[in-house]
Amino acid sequence: MLDARRLEILTESAKYDVSCSSSGSKRVNAKGGLGNASVGGICHSFTPDGRCISLLKILMSNDCLYDCEYCPNRRSADVPRASITPDEICELTINFYKRNYIEGLFLSSAVFSSPDRTMEALCETVVKLRKIYNFNGYIHLKGIPYADDALIMRAAKYVDRMSFNIELPSEKSLKLLAPQKTRDSLILPMKKLSAAREYDKQNKIRSGKVIPAGQTTQMIIGASPESDGQILRLTEALYRKMGLKRVYYSSYIPVVESPKLPTVGAGLLREHRLYQADWLIRFYGFDVDELCGEGDNLDADCDPKCAWAMRNMQLFPVEVNTAPLEMLLRVPGIGARGAYRIINARKYTALDFDNLAKMRIIIKRAKHFITCKGKFYGSESRGAIKAALMLDNRAENAEQLSMFSSPDVAVSAITGEI
Amino acid sequence: MIYYVVDGSEDCFYTAVFDAYRQKDAIITSESNLQTELESRIVEVTADAEKAERVRKKLRQLDGGAENDIHLALRSCDPLRENTAFGYIRLIIEKGGPVRKMLAHPVVLEMSDITGKVTGELHKLKGFLRFMENAQGVLYAPFSPDNDITDLIAPHFAERFKNQRFVIHDVRRKIAALYDGEQIILTSVDSAEIYLSEYEKYFEDLWKQYYKSVNIASRPHEKQMKGYMPVRYWKFLPEKQR
Ligand code: SF4
Repeated sequence: MLDARRLEILTESAKYDVSCSSSGSKRVNAKGGLGNASVGGICHSFTPDGRCISLLKILMSNDCLYDCEYCPNRRSADVPRASITPDEICELTINFYKRNYIEGLFLSSAVFSSPDRTMEALCETVVKLRKIYNFNGYIHLKGIPYADDALIMRAAKYVDRMSFNIELPSEKSLKLLAPQKTRDSLILPMKKLSAAREYDKQNKIRSGKVIPAGQTTQMIIGASPESDGQILRLTEALYRKMGLKRVYYSSYIPVVESPKLPTVGAGLLREHRLYQADWLIRFYGFDVDELCGEGDNLDADCDPKCAWAMRNMQLFPVEVNTAPLEMLLRVPGIGARGAYRIINARKYTALDFDNLAKMRIIIKRAKHFITCKGKFYGSESRGAIKAALMLDNRAENAEQLSMFSSPDVAVSAITGEI
Repeated sequence: MIYYVVDGSEDCFYTAVFDAYRQKDAIITSESNLQTELESRIVEVTADAEKAERVRKKLRQLDGGAENDIHLALRSCDPLRENTAFGYIRLIIEKGGPVRKMLAHPVVLEMSDITGKVTGELHKLKGFLRFMENAQGVLYAPFSPDNDITDLIAPHFAERFKNQRFVIHDVRRKIAALYDGEQIILTSVDSAEIYLSEYEKYFEDLWKQYYKSVNIASRPHEKQMKGYMPVRYWKFLPEKQR
């Protein structure tokens, strides 16, 4: 039977993976089965670090062959090792799920004995969970680089989501910090999965689709020298060319001491700005070129949308009652939800500032960029606007740091993220 | 002012709408939220299925989604819920169609606010509800939601658990949804005595261990935790008990 100590080791080793989301799948329950998946995702608890618990996130083993510099489980590290059997994982998942502690399983593993052996064991576990334990809840499975394609594809038929973590945003940094991995060992299986999804879509396959909730990946921020501009270009390609559902950013936490690694963490503000830019690329119609130059970092003082607006003052102010949706989405202080509210409400009546305030538009920010029925209450001078926005942003930053834990749920309905 | 006092059932509410519709200064309210001034008249409404159906039918003709909006609004803990829903119906009839998107109108905004709070809590509690297993394998979940959502939340779990029996118990309102593997029954339940399964403590302890291990202690953010998971829900979460 699984004891608390083993669970502790295997959880501790898995917890730095930030993708907690359980959204994007509509798996339905079968007769005699247990569980289904909720499209919006559900958070079951929150830990004192402010992150959401949605899935039981656990490693099958933390005994790794590889020696990635930043990883507490790397081969050369002196840490207690443990593993858990497929049946133990199934039992734990089922019993946590029944008590409504979790929405499903996030299973990952260090590479033990060989990539194929590891992938085989992961695959066996998810097949068992589905077929023997009749579990129809959410499963996110981490892919093992260099594992046989056939194993990866077999697993993909049983799980909702898979992820190969890119971890480091360039080949050079991979070489330095994760010498056994190459860009290709991560990108090629991602491409195969994306092609398999495309095939299902083209052929209108309904049941038995591969990874219905798609793929995600994660990058560590600040362990290597890449700029935000480089990172976001990779991000944009992953969304637009490979159809990824989410890219997660995990600001580097020095859990491991190494001369090749920085001694201080990257801080949450940088991570937060990357998430904001990511959001703008996915839901607000921004291209990365508009947000950040290739070698540049995002502005720390104000969010990327404000920063963009300040650089493009010639486009403003726009009239709230006539501006197209694409433009409303670009106004600082008007979020996606606000923009859709405006579009709906203005069909019935011309809106004034009072109406906007009631619709939860952040007037003190938006007023510099909009007119309502021709009236303008903002500041004319760029300098004054910048000062006002930065002040506002500072207050905001303290509040919103580590947005990474925010459930996808809140915006999904409005932004159409599925 | 004329106060139409309703008993909490939907039929009674729709009956009140039928009776009050022609009065200019009518207010529909539940007994517990009744606050009258001098000079006011109080009418106790008894549900009348026929009147209720006539209002419902009219609504259905004008807006297919209105009944559901009202169904949700009446679950709200907002003291003005009945009157807001009444105002919403008036507006639909006055405009002759859906008004959902007229968010510049105060009644629509208020409706969207209170139904939003009900569905918001519903969604949150789909995550925060906790079951324990009794010796016969029945799952039992006590909770105390702000809004009256027991029958709204039960189908979510029936769908998940298929032939697994469960009870969801609103301990403050003293009502429970019982699911026997086939259908959900809503009933009043005062207090429940539970004999837990011998494995209950084992899994609960593993869950507490998990909760502890998965936290990144070097990055505390209590405020965010409490923002997403308000303290009033903690009472029924094993991971938040010592
Ligand atoms: S492959 Fe690298 S990152 Fe993954 S567990 Fe092994 S050492 Fe850690």
